[in-house]
Amino acid sequence: MLDPTKLYRKLLRLYPASFRDEYETPMDRHFRDEQREAQSWKAHARLWVHAIFDVAVSAPRELVRELGQDLHFALRAYRKRPLSALLAIGALALAIGVSTGVFSVASALLLRSLPFSDAARLVELRRSPFSAGNGRAGFIAWQGHSSYLEGASSFSTSEMNLNSGRDALRVRVSETSANFFALLGTRSDMGRTFAADEDKTGQNHVAVISHRLWLQSFGGDPAMLNATVHLNGAALTVIGVAQPRFDYPGDVDIWIPTVFDFETIPKRGAFLWQTIGRLKTGITMTQARQQFRAEASRVSPDSFRRADHEDPDLVRLRDQLASPVHQSVLILSAVVLLVLLTACANVAQLLLSRTVERSQELALRAALGASRSRLVQQLTVEATALTLAGSIFGLIVAYFVSRTASAVLPAQLATQRYTLLDWRVLCFAITLALIVGVIFGVMPTWLVGRLQPSTRLARVHPGSSEPVTRRLQSILLGVQVAFTLTLLVSSVTLGSAFLRLVNTDLGFRPANVITLNVSLQGTRYQKESAVWQYYSAVLDRLRNVPGVESVGAVNYLPLTANVLMAGTIKADSGQQVNGVVLNGVMPGYFRTMGTKLVAGSEFVMNESNSADPPVLVNEAFAHQAGLDASMVGRRIKAPWTSRPYLVSGVVATARMAGPEYDGSPQAYWPVQEEPPPALTFVAKVHGDSSKYLAICRDAVMGLDPGVPVYEVKTLDQRLNETLGRPKFYTLSVLFLGCLALLLALIGVFGTSSRAIAQREHEFGVRMALGASTGNVRTMIVRQSLAPISTGIVAGVVGAIGSGPLLQHVFVGAKTPDTSTCIVASILLLAATLVSAWFATTRILAIDPIDAIRAE
Amino acid sequence: MFWHTMTNSNEEVQQRLPLSLPVLHMLLSLLEGERHGYALKREIQQRTDKRVNLGSGALYGAINKMLEQGLIVESDERPDPHLDDERRRYYRITSLGRRVVQAEVARLRALVQLAELRLGIPDPV
Repeated sequence: MLDPTKLYRKLLRLYPASFRDEYETPMDRHFRDEQREAQSWKAHARLWVHAIFDVAVSAPRELVRELGQDLHFALRAYRKRPLSALLAIGALALAIGVSTGVFSVASALLLRSLPFSDAARLVELRRSPFSAGNGRAGFIAWQGHSSYLEGASSFSTSEMNLNSGRDALRVRVSETSANFFALLGTRSDMGRTFAADEDKTGQNHVAVISHRLWLQSFGGDPAMLNATVHLNGAALTVIGVAQPRFDYPGDVDIWIPTVFDFETIPKRGAFLWQTIGRLKTGITMTQARQQFRAEASRVSPDSFRRADHEDPDLVRLRDQLASPVHQSVLILSAVVLLVLLTACANVAQLLLSRTVERSQELALRAALGASRSRLVQQLTVEATALTLAGSIFGLIVAYFVSRTASAVLPAQLATQRYTLLDWRVLCFAITLALIVGVIFGVMPTWLVGRLQPSTRLARVHPGSSEPVTRRLQSILLGVQVAFTLTLLVSSVTLGSAFLRLVNTDLGFRPANVITLNVSLQGTRYQKESAVWQYYSAVLDRLRNVPGVESVGAVNYLPLTANVLMAGTIKADSGQQVNGVVLNGVMPGYFRTMGTKLVAGSEFVMNESNSADPPVLVNEAFAHQAGLDASMVGRRIKAPWTSRPYLVSGVVATARMAGPEYDGSPQAYWPVQEEPPPALTFVAKVHGDSSKYLAICRDAVMGLDPGVPVYEVKTLDQRLNETLGRPKFYTLSVLFLGCLALLLALIGVFGTSSRAIAQREHEFGVRMALGASTGNVRTMIVRQSLAPISTGIVAGVVGAIGSGPLLQHVFVGAKTPDTSTCIVASILLLAATLVSAWFATTRILAIDPIDAIRAE
Repeated sequence: MFWHTMTNSNEEVQQRLPLSLPVLHMLLSLLEGERHGYALKREIQQRTDKRVNLGSGALYGAINKMLEQGLIVESDERPDPHLDDERRRYYRITSLGRRVVQAEVARLRALVQLAELRLGIPDPV
């Protein structure tokens, strides 16, 4: 049976150390006395209830009082040596602040909560044979019989012209099945979402609009409910406004239940059906995936004949939405962690040397009867106070960093608004502070455990550090230097990769070019002749804007996220060119874009009436066709027409997707051959291109206000958007690298100056024996050389080892090269030695006479 | 100079008021002589018909606080003659402790007088 007195002693452990030291024995005796007096089991029970209640009330009270005293003592101790405490707090505040700030922006990108209910059970059915293409009845029957899905929804997303009686707009529209909102588990903010059979033909002339569209384009007018809008000319009634952050499947402003009814909204182009589903409860992802694949191969065996990666598959919606930034953000988090560890090394060094400095005091207190737990409690409180102070300042730093970070954050990364420094980030900061506090509360404990009062008291010089702690301090310094070098090399590598991206030859010159899109879908221009007339008129109007040097137009402009039409084309050399982007241009396009004509000539108006219509190809095409410059005058054939085309010229290859990716082969047809429903116009202007944006938009709008003119941007703006992601990561890593350098310098400075403080007496004696201050200073700097250079070697290894990870940050980033490592090493070595040298200035204040007198 | 010290010691007394009921009881017991913790508890129990029953945490918490405030001091350890021969820690009231009890009692008397004035003194039954 359990001994009641032992149990009571265990209960007494809840009291703080000092109180326990003092009163544990009398309290224990007290309890035994009462136990002896208690006769019946009732009296025993009363005794226990009373004892437990007593401990529950008095233990917290004593704890608060004792911690208050410890804190007071800790503050007094830090006030005696403010510089090193301030340095450590500053380093910690910077590290916690910056990492929390960057993390909050990263988490907003990656970990933001999806505005769906129970998002973990939502999946996307990739390359599914089950889509709206099977018709409404087929789709509903399939989802009703599914063994693994509770429900499924199909949708297709495209851009359309919106006319609401105010301005004409171009918006992203998702045509969905009626259960779309119900499946995702998101409600409307105002009005309602689709009713169950609203996706039937004849009932589907309704629309839900995004909160953003409602605010920005309709001024948040409640009268928009039940108002009529026109999409590509078709009339629809607005029945609801979606939740504020909801834009699934991505940047969508209008949802309509027309996915089964292709005819409701007139449209042209390529359309892709997507299918999402909600897993039944109790079904695991693996089970669902197996069942889906089995079902898909049964229904559509063809889908498995393609290459492996194109097999139908089931993926979590959350993974699918986060995957583009997943890896980069993970790497960023690793960088943040390194910075944080560098700062922690600073704090660890400070706490270590403080414990060493006070070893005699601690030993004395231990000899006078203070228990080990009493001393540990005191040290833990001191360490936690330091960490908490760092965390509080860190939160302030974090606030400013996240504001700055969100300002440099590229617009297209921040598609959804979020509150900065939300509770997750706060938890992150507090957890960090706690971990740091616990670690450094434990480290001094370990040292106190080794305190031997007798040997300590025999010592003459307080605070002369012993080999174990000195070695530990060297290791911490080395670790700090190693992390810093890894970060420095990584940031320099990313920085130079980014510069390479910026300086890449794009195949066109973005300077002084403005771009604007027009779309004639749902407008009165439907006949080819009318479309062509309208486009020609736009070109004329733009040309007449004062300051415009040249104009042109293109079907697919580089640097825009377009679904491109691509096909296979045969050259008369017999070579076949695959994946050719088929693009339409209007005269003047290449001149305006600054794209070099490598051979031949650009086609001119009316040329298409000649026998063989002209076509231009780019260098990538000519190269793949095996003809290069001799391409001009050759004939090529597209599979869908019997007529051959005459290659009239070869132009430089444009990098369509931006500097990160090579350009693909392209063939350019004159637009007038078959005018597309939408076109991007470009104009080369004189001087500051942003000043022309409004003028040019007005010039085109003036032609017909019913045609939406959108994406009015300079080409430079579009390039910046493309470079936004690499720029953000590069800036972040560069910033964190500099921060790590600062932290390392603080660390070296702190270590050296504390070492001097601890060995002041020794240096005094040395100087009294004839050493000059210069000699002593050089000696100290030399002693820190060993851990620093070891750290540098480790850092180079770390940088090269982590190099392959950098390639995932963005295309074009490479493993660090030797010269980067060497330059960064030399810089870091020089900076740390200078910092150590500055720390030794306090040697000048040492008076050798004092040292001798003390001896 | 003398006046100054007086004010100071007056302030010292005032800072420690009001006393909690257990503390007042303990100080009252200590006015009769030195006691150890358990004896204090028993005496208070008897005096109040077990209405004030201090747990040992509350008891030593109060003792700790009184020591800190200088109301009592520890005297030497010696065996308790009534119970057994185990050595126990004894406490003694200080002169500051005495003055604080006096001040507290005066404060309570004023309070009682005020209450009597308002309510009238009930007839003894």
